[in-house]
Amino acid sequence: MPSSNLIKIAIALIVGIVLGLMYGWVIDPIEYTDITPNILREDYRTDYVLMVAESYQHDFDSEAAARRLAILGSESPATITASALEYANRNDFTRDEIQALQNLLTAMQTYQPMNNP
Amino acid sequence: MRRLNLNTPFLHLILPLLTGLGLGLVYSWFISPVTYVDANPALLRADFKDQYRIVIAAAYASTRDLARARARLDLLGETDPIAQLSAQAQRMLAAGESFEQARPLAQLATDLSQGFASAPSTDTPLPAFNTPETNPTPTITETSEIEPESLEEPTSTPPPTLSFDQTPLVPVTAETSAPRPTFTPTPGPGAPFALVGQETVCDPAQPGLMQFMLLDSRHRQAAGVEIIVTWNQGEDRFFTGFKPELGDGYADFIMQANTVYNIRIVTGGSYVPNVTAPSCVDPNGLSYIGGLLLTFQQP
Repeated sequence: MPSSNLIKIAIALIVGIVLGLMYGWVIDPIEYTDITPNILREDYRTDYVLMVAESYQHDFDSEAAARRLAILGSESPATITASALEYANRNDFTRDEIQALQNLLTAMQTYQPMNNP
Repeated sequence: MRRLNLNTPFLHLILPLLTGLGLGLVYSWFISPVTYVDANPALLRADFKDQYRIVIAAAYASTRDLARARARLDLLGETDPIAQLSAQAQRMLAAGESFEQARPLAQLATDLSQGFASAPSTDTPLPAFNTPETNPTPTITETSEIEPESLEEPTSTPPPTLSFDQTPLVPVTAETSAPRPTFTPTPGPGAPFALVGQETVCDPAQPGLMQFMLLDSRHRQAAGVEIIVTWNQGEDRFFTGFKPELGDGYADFIMQANTVYNIRIVTGGSYVPNVTAPSCVDPNGLSYIGGLLLTFQQP
């Protein structure tokens, strides 16, 4: 086969790959519909943690708060809360909200999971 | 048979192009697909959405901020968040979870449907009326801090302590030394419901439907009241308010023919024995099981 034909084949192959990548990444990428909360955007994660903090202000149930925070990932509840508190401080959350997060952080730092028999 | 011509444009251009296209799609869809790192709650899996709703309702039970709860529910991208809340509460009860766990969801659904935050279900301590008459400084400080929030959220119900903190601003005279409660008394949660109405409902579309409507002493529908229906083969427990589209005080139950039911309203211990499904006749002369509408009210 002449080298000119090889060049044509190579160019066509490359063009095909580029088109395939464009279609798969840009035009019709895979859509996720059943995601887990660990990939929520940071503001949504923080709002979720704030909700947990607000409910903790009401029931003071550390066990329930830790269980609710656990769906955000494998990090410890204290680490998750600390990240949320940091975000809240950076983004001018109200004083009450920051206080609620601070209270939750204190609770999670001292929280000891109940041992199952 | 014709031999494949290796010099055709098909082999030189189209076949490599299609091969490359396939390779590109395999890589972009399977080997290295687009990964989401900043997702929104609307994409959550159904069980995580349930958990999200529970946390929204729990936060609402604490803050009573209905506008914020509604905004948070909107993040889940559902067309009818009230129905979703009610359905989830029903699922929780059906799964054997306690009413206390389902109550925040039902309460939020009820409040969303009626458009305002109802009184919290838990008892709150009454404010002290004989607050110190001097030292108004803390009151002024607190008021100045709270006013901006109340302007931002006019729909929120201010905590009761605010109004009492403001009272020292009014000059206190000797005649007012014996303070009287100014709040309107409300019936206690344990006041008994009495059966005040029993109507036969002949609707062929809803045969044997026993409908309950529970009203408090102000004729407002009462949500979250437990009803127990027993019969010779079993028992069913349910609560008012889980179908807010039909009313906060509404609940229903399907009766069978030739079965005697006993009804107990748990709050206050009202008891209605020997209830049976009535018989109705359609326009063609055929009989079918009718329904009942039972109305209970607190005195």
